[in-house]
Amino acid sequence: MSEELIQIQNTFRFTEENQREFDALIGHYPVKEAAMLPTLHLAQKQAGYVSPAVMTYVAALLEVPLMKVKDVVTFYPMFFEEPVGEYVIRVCHTLPCALRDCKGVLAHLKAKLGTDVASETDLGKGTTPDGKFTLMKVECLASCDVAPVIMVNDDLYKNLTPEKVDEILDNL
Amino acid sequence: MAFIKLNDLEVEVEDGTNVVEAARLHGIEVPHYCYHPGLSRPANCRMCLVEPHVFFPPAGAIVPDRQLATGCTTVLRTAPPNRKLDGKYDFIVYTDSPRVKKAREDILEFLLVHHPLDCPVCDQAGECDLQDFTYRHGHDKSRYLEVKNVPPKKDLGPDVLLYSTRCIVCTRCIRFCQEVSGSNELGLIHRGSHDEIDIPRSHDGMPLQLLDNKLAGNVVDICPVGALISKDFLFKSRPWFMKQEKSVCAGCSVGCNITVEYKEDGVYRLKPRFHEEINQHWMCDDGRLGYGYVNSDDRLQLPMKRVDGEFQPTHWADALTQITEKLSEADAEKVVVIGSAQGTNEDNYVLQQFAHEVLKTEHLGLFGALPGEEHTFPQFTIEADKNPNTAGARKMLSNGTPVLEGEALWKKVSEADIVYLVSGAPERSLEAEEKAVLESVDFLIVQDVLPSEVTALADVVLPGTTFAEKDGTFTNSKGWVQRIRKTVDAPGEARIDWEIIQQLARQLGGEMNYHFAGEISLAISENVSGYAEATHQNIGDSGVKLAE
Repeated sequence: MSEELIQIQNTFRFTEENQREFDALIGHYPVKEAAMLPTLHLAQKQAGYVSPAVMTYVAALLEVPLMKVKDVVTFYPMFFEEPVGEYVIRVCHTLPCALRDCKGVLAHLKAKLGTDVASETDLGKGTTPDGKFTLMKVECLASCDVAPVIMVNDDLYKNLTPEKVDEILDNL
Repeated sequence: MAFIKLNDLEVEVEDGTNVVEAARLHGIEVPHYCYHPGLSRPANCRMCLVEPHVFFPPAGAIVPDRQLATGCTTVLRTAPPNRKLDGKYDFIVYTDSPRVKKAREDILEFLLVHHPLDCPVCDQAGECDLQDFTYRHGHDKSRYLEVKNVPPKKDLGPDVLLYSTRCIVCTRCIRFCQEVSGSNELGLIHRGSHDEIDIPRSHDGMPLQLLDNKLAGNVVDICPVGALISKDFLFKSRPWFMKQEKSVCAGCSVGCNITVEYKEDGVYRLKPRFHEEINQHWMCDDGRLGYGYVNSDDRLQLPMKRVDGEFQPTHWADALTQITEKLSEADAEKVVVIGSAQGTNEDNYVLQQFAHEVLKTEHLGLFGALPGEEHTFPQFTIEADKNPNTAGARKMLSNGTPVLEGEALWKKVSEADIVYLVSGAPERSLEAEEKAVLESVDFLIVQDVLPSEVTALADVVLPGTTFAEKDGTFTNSKGWVQRIRKTVDAPGEARIDWEIIQQLARQLGGEMNYHFAGEISLAISENVSGYAEATHQNIGDSGVKLAE
């Protein structure tokens, strides 16, 4: 590994609490590589996004090539490679939600937050200048019976109308 | 052996052969991209689909299988007697049924969905599998009307560029880096139709690791399309304008089989050629990119002699006369002749004959490039000895007496009046003791290809030839004797090394009358122990292994 890479890697470490959590989860898997997804989620929770430092740290931790980690991170849309807001708002825009006017919900969110919708390669576009919110469209959130839905970080909100959205944002 | 019905042919193939290889052996093309005989088989390109026929009990007949199968992973084996088809076949497979043809067309249409079709500016055009297979097996027009993905062009490392748009994501390069070089620099980023080959990078494109290993150039060879491109060869030539000649790499003692691609004005590139026991499908970048000195403008083109401390170009007759005068007066005990581990067996054999029969000296030494570093990969080794023919030269020169090497050589040189040194090692630098000893020699004759620290000390310099300019044989470290072949002409008045030596021998009254390298190889096969089989005729393209 090059000197530069080691320097980058050294800028990230698990906190003691996360290290304990990692030690616990690594035992659930037959090989270290298999723990890639939970480890990355854990690291993303701590760092906010998967920076090069996080990638190199995880690669060293799991003893896999760096490219394998990069491969996984770019494959899954729930890993962010650039900084995102404190609250990540995912608006479902698959068919049932579309039929129940998710566009209205999205337009309301856009107007209220004053930001555009993020794309997978440019999350900055959907992040408010104060770094508080990131607004993005996602595919099905598996709650079609209660469409339209959004997710704010890990919480799902159902049967939305613009008024309900206001309420949710006020309570954050 | 498995007895197969392959289309209308009845053929026997070895157990364990796959359908693609079995078909290739019998002159039938099964197009494929992801399959490479030197790599694992993910069967992800779906291009090699073939139609196996199976026994269908309800109908009591042999019918086409429900699904087409990938030829690369369909392995042919001898069936138990009660499972033979038609009572005799171990397997029945069709590579040209209408269903197979339709499948190929459809797969190609998908592969070309995001392909830019920029063949007129693509380096691969002319040797591109996508181009060839589309021409032979594909549609003549696209039905795709939507916008194509345009991923960026990327710099992957010191010698490799990636034109992502042309990539069909066969993943050969990724598997090469995992399995053969073991360096794991390459991988896939993104998902589905946005898949791209890449090295690890930060989000803003800064590389975290480069494709920088000594086997990296092989990914360019195995890329079936024009996605991975060598910077060294970029925009240099169209493949069909170059001539090709089978040869052996002169970069180290492994002796990788190569194809030299050249035009009249020089060598354009070296490509590895398959040899099962020496280099399989690969070669290292040191060898691949190490041919530059052949085309160098600095090459020695005329004999040179030292007049009042300065080098002056001269003509052959003058240079050789000066040498013969010195040699005919000299005391044989004070003459040292040094052959080169860069030279062919033929060069060294003629040199040995010259020393023994004409000069009557027993002092024969061996010279060559300085050793480098050994590099080991999971499926490849680059050896530390940077000479292609150390084993062969040692054998050729030691006809009767052991060859002087290292300390013993320099000790003998320090006692000598005249030294005839054949080098041929490009850019050879001298260590302090070597330099001191060579400086003390009264009359130093150096035969070399490029000006170097060695030629700088010479009294007469004779321009010789590189591996690309002569015929002959090299013996590698494992005892394989292999052919090199002439491609380009030697620059200026440079001459083939053994011809220069033979000319000198004749001027000194020796009887030597070789006309071409193959004739010398016959003399070698008669006179050198162990080389009885190693005539040019026997060696052919795949070499001869000497008995242990």
